[in-house]
Amino acid sequence: MKVKVVTNILEANDRIADENRRIFQEAGVYVINMMSGPGAGKTSLLVRTIQEMQQKVKIGVIEGDIAGTDDAERIDKLGVPVVQINTGGGCHLDANMIREVLPDMPLKDLDLLIIENVGNLVCPAEFKVGEDIKVMLLSVAEGHDKPLKYPLMFQESSALLLNKIDLLPYIDVDMAKIRKDSLSLNPKLKMFEVSCKTGQGISEWAQWLETLVKK
Amino acid sequence: MHEVSIAQGLLDIVIENCRKQGYSGIESIKVKIGKAAGVVPDALLFAFESMKVDTIAEKATLIIDQVPISGFCNGCKSNFTVDDAYVICCPHCNSFSIRVDTGRELNVDEMEVV
Repeated sequence: MKVKVVTNILEANDRIADENRRIFQEAGVYVINMMSGPGAGKTSLLVRTIQEMQQKVKIGVIEGDIAGTDDAERIDKLGVPVVQINTGGGCHLDANMIREVLPDMPLKDLDLLIIENVGNLVCPAEFKVGEDIKVMLLSVAEGHDKPLKYPLMFQESSALLLNKIDLLPYIDVDMAKIRKDSLSLNPKLKMFEVSCKTGQGISEWAQWLETLVKK
Repeated sequence: MHEVSIAQGLLDIVIENCRKQGYSGIESIKVKIGKAAGVVPDALLFAFESMKVDTIAEKATLIIDQVPISGFCNGCKSNFTVDDAYVICCPHCNSFSIRVDTGRELNVDEMEVV
């Protein structure tokens, strides 16, 4: 006998993500889900962003990694609340993993919670965790073919940070193509060119983020 | 890359459905997966085969119905369907003003039960 089911497979995740979102809204905390491939500079961007905004905005961080606590240790040194999630092989964070660590995060004391997803350009884009916006990072050395090879992440993100622009004199990357293809995939995408090494462009990004947090 | 989570999600859904409605076994499960959903069918089949063991879906076959990306172009006022995993502009007139209607599906559609 055939039985119609018609249920979204990610429905369970989306339901928990909606609950997380309610918890964040009640606590008055703005949440960003930060995604990129491995090594694009997510943790370096976090360090720069925290240093830039720390005086004005109270920030907390959830670190997602397959293994290890290196990232959380780097953030901990800055004196902001940080929780490490190890997915143990999982390629992305999901809403339930976030839900489980929320009791360890002083949400009521925070203005902004940054969730650093597992380094991966594919899967994190598919799983909501309860965030207000998704932000993605692409280091320019990854190449100008990435927007069209990994379209979903570019479509889902509200902002794209192009990191490591201090490397531009040494590499063959077509920045105009990155911009054009990214905007074709997502006309509303806000783009920033930054270098977490030199600090270039960080203040523009931080100002934009601060406006969203204070809204 | 997250086909294991997808396989677990779909198994949870069908098993829960069977439990509620009192069915004891599943013979087949049909899922609709959009081409732009970031799921590799072979990887999903592989994950499903290993995860169905010791469940009431142990004997079930997974049937994957791939849904192409389709939509409507506001430029030339026509419907379009593409084969790729993404669409940037209308394949007929290259207009960027398009509405995408299908291609992101990730649904359990129906199951055959005993």
